[in-house]
Amino acid sequence: MSEAVIQFCRVTKVYRRGFHGQEVAALSGVSFEVNAGEVCAFLGPNGAGKTTSISILMGFLFGDAGEIRVLGHPPGDVRAKKKIGFVPENFAFYKHMTATRLLEFHRELAGPAEGGRAPEISELLAQVKLDTFGKLKIGKFSRGMVQRLGIAQALLGDPQLLILDEPTSGLDPAGRKEIRELMLSLKAAGKTIFLSSHILSEIEQICDRVIIIDRGRLIRAGLFEEMRGRDSQVELVVDALPESAEQALRERGAEIAHGPQSVHVVVPAAQKRETAELLWTAGSDILQMNPKKTSLEELFLQLLEPDGGAR
Amino acid sequence: MRIRAIAWNTFGLLLHNRVLLLIVVLFASWIFLMMTPLIMMRQITSASNAGRMQSEVLTLVSMVMGALSGFGSMLAAGCAAFAVAGEMKSGTILAVMARPVRRWEYLVGKFCGVQILLGVYVLGMLGLSFLLARIGGQHIHAPVWALIAYPLVRYAIYSAVAMLLVTFLNPFVSLGVVWMMAIGVEFMTPTEGIHLVPAWVRIPLYYLLPSTNLLSESRFLSITQTSLHQTTWLQHTVTLAYGLDYAAVWLLLALWSFRSKGLTRD
Repeated sequence: MSEAVIQFCRVTKVYRRGFHGQEVAALSGVSFEVNAGEVCAFLGPNGAGKTTSISILMGFLFGDAGEIRVLGHPPGDVRAKKKIGFVPENFAFYKHMTATRLLEFHRELAGPAEGGRAPEISELLAQVKLDTFGKLKIGKFSRGMVQRLGIAQALLGDPQLLILDEPTSGLDPAGRKEIRELMLSLKAAGKTIFLSSHILSEIEQICDRVIIIDRGRLIRAGLFEEMRGRDSQVELVVDALPESAEQALRERGAEIAHGPQSVHVVVPAAQKRETAELLWTAGSDILQMNPKKTSLEELFLQLLEPDGGAR
Repeated sequence: MRIRAIAWNTFGLLLHNRVLLLIVVLFASWIFLMMTPLIMMRQITSASNAGRMQSEVLTLVSMVMGALSGFGSMLAAGCAAFAVAGEMKSGTILAVMARPVRRWEYLVGKFCGVQILLGVYVLGMLGLSFLLARIGGQHIHAPVWALIAYPLVRYAIYSAVAMLLVTFLNPFVSLGVVWMMAIGVEFMTPTEGIHLVPAWVRIPLYYLLPSTNLLSESRFLSITQTSLHQTTWLQHTVTLAYGLDYAAVWLLLALWSFRSKGLTRD
């Protein structure tokens, strides 16, 4: 079994706002773990407590209750921070600096890389496609370029764990694809990635584990493949569907969608054999039969719907 | 290494702060305007009015130097307050503190960065003071090291106080408190006499507030040789040690307060 890189155990955080210290619970007993080498998606609607959780993990904020360990150390411990690369939400920067100078400054702060060759600044800039902008002042960068630079600074010092808060915000589709590919290469290199994002279609292509929180409470945490496979369905694509067969299938709860040249029939995996037999008997030609897995977006919305248990 | 990197980064940030630059430029313009009457006075000086003119030149020069010194105190407090608060507001602190940087290292680095800027200011102030005296046809008779060390220690006190206050107060409020403190020092004397403030407030505040008058370079800065005040090395050492000790205590309190401070904008 993999060692837990992040342990977040019954963490509670209450903000006190205003003159009278009105209490607002940001996190209520949230627990989860992330193992080494995993890509973990940390999801939730706006105001769910994602950034608060990440801030606590990084030692920027302190929880009111609970236990947290990051790479075996308490949050904020320099021994852990030496092995962490972090991109904050809306990465802010020193406008007067050039990209190269900013990375040099962060390299001075990071100190020498532990057990391995840290990538050179020029390599990092090339990795995020900013190699031709190294001498340009960051104040002249676009939002997307700043975000790329944020990712480059997170990769300084060859970190074991990457904590990325909305890493693709501000990026165009091509930029998002590049960052996704970069994350896949980091995953292949054995890095642990903990990322928060609203672009679920991007995340589902790379994540191993999903943690969903809402209103400061944990909704679901687990391996993505297990979560999406719980109510697995099968999609059968047929050339045509006689009316009698369609009615019979609808009575059994099948979802049917008519396309221009085919008909898509979605049934629970347990009913695939009898459905196939029914279609054959009705004279339909089965063109394809594929397992239909729940997308991350569907899973997310199901869990956050009123009857999904979140609200 | 990390403290040095943060210090130089802070210095660079302050140099690129447009508000700060604007204030410095406006202040410098006012100082240069003050040179005009000085030049005029020098030109109209004749054998018959030499005594009166010299007195007026000295008054003007000491007024400008006092203003420079006072502005330096406000600069020290403002830079210290906004060096930390500005990074928290912009969010740049998060990427820095995600590095293996301890909180005390960050704050000490910030403090040192402010001191570098103040060092540059003091050198500029010194150069300007000599220039003004020269324009007025006078000479400054005081040890140069003292004209650098004394204001630096005084500014270190104000920046340490501001740094502590900003760990739990808004930077503008912190600046206001330091300002009040700087003014308050002038009224808090333990001696008997007619005072606006009752003794039970005045005497504790006298011991609590920094004796910045003691650390003022004007105590021994003289423009004419005749009025040069002699200060022994022991007096210098004790006075500067007192100032450094006072600044260190406030800085330590700031470090203690900062260790449990939330760093996000929420």
